Amino acid sequence: MEHAASQGLIILGATIGAGLVAIGAGIGIGQIGRGAMEGIARQPDATAKIQTAMLIAAALIEGIALFSEVICLLGLNK
Amino acid sequence: MANPHEWSLPFIGKIPLPPFLSLHALMMVICALLLLLVFGVLYRKDGGTPRGLTNAMEILILFVRDQIAVPNMGESDGKRFTPLLCSLFFFILFMNAMGLIPLFSSATGNINVTAALASLTLVLMIGGGIYRNGPIGFLKSFLPHGVPWPILVILFPIEIVGLFIKPFALTIRLFANMMGGHVVIFSLLGLAVTFGLKAALPAVAMATGIYLLEILVAFLQAFIFTLLSAMFIGSCLHPSH
Repeated sequence: MEHAASQGLIILGATIGAGLVAIGAGIGIGQIGRGAMEGIARQPDATAKIQTAMLIAAALIEGIALFSEVICLLGLNK
Repeated sequence: MANPHEWSLPFIGKIPLPPFLSLHALMMVICALLLLLVFGVLYRKDGGTPRGLTNAMEILILFVRDQIAVPNMGESDGKRFTPLLCSLFFFILFMNAMGLIPLFSSATGNINVTAALASLTLVLMIGGGIYRNGPIGFLKSFLPHGVPWPILVILFPIEIVGLFIKPFALTIRLFANMMGGHVVIFSLLGLAVTFGLKAALPAVAMATGIYLLEILVAFLQAFIFTLLSAMFIGSCLHPSH
């Protein structure tokens, strides 16, 4: 019984952690997207530069989100 | 997980690999041969206007030089480091793209491969910094000016840790993006296995959507790895603090 309960807690912790990471990444990248849209709306000439900067910032945030996903996967395997 | 020492093809069976070559190592060798083929044999260097494959590759090479190398490392250093950054960019791009072809797998989905690529960046950061500024100058670049000395004592270990965290972040970012993409596709197709024929069409549709996203992610991750490598090496060669 105790073994089954601790197994369940491990899975619960890892998957809830992964879901929270998704919330954080979603909010962060959404704010970048909002800033990028506003910038493009003000100055359509600068679209290429704004898109490049948006992609770079989004990839950096996604990097952090994926660290946490890897940690959750490591926790699941223990 | 599958045995890394055999290559399983759907109708031909499993091909056993010699003990010094695992599946991802074989993919890296195939990718290296492909790069040699594209850039050594098929790329026409005899002057005149580039056409065809030469033109396509030249767009990417000029992109690496003008948008990644020169803005981050200055004019002369940027042009000297462009061959290295192009090698990184095309190697990672071709390895990521090979994971999308049905019978192959992406070697960048293995953390050892991405760790090796990031350690290239680390060696260039430390080696370039020491070569350009001397060992004392390299260590001094971690101590900003105009900071009182108690804060310096705390700041120095944090900066040293930051030096090693940056390539570690490169490793994990590339590895997790590639492996995560493949895991999501497998999970969606696994829905069709678990739930039978009714779930097959939505599962394949969703997997196709993620597959198209993976093509974008392949290009984006190669670009981000190269860009961040250029930024880190540039900041070690020309410390502004």
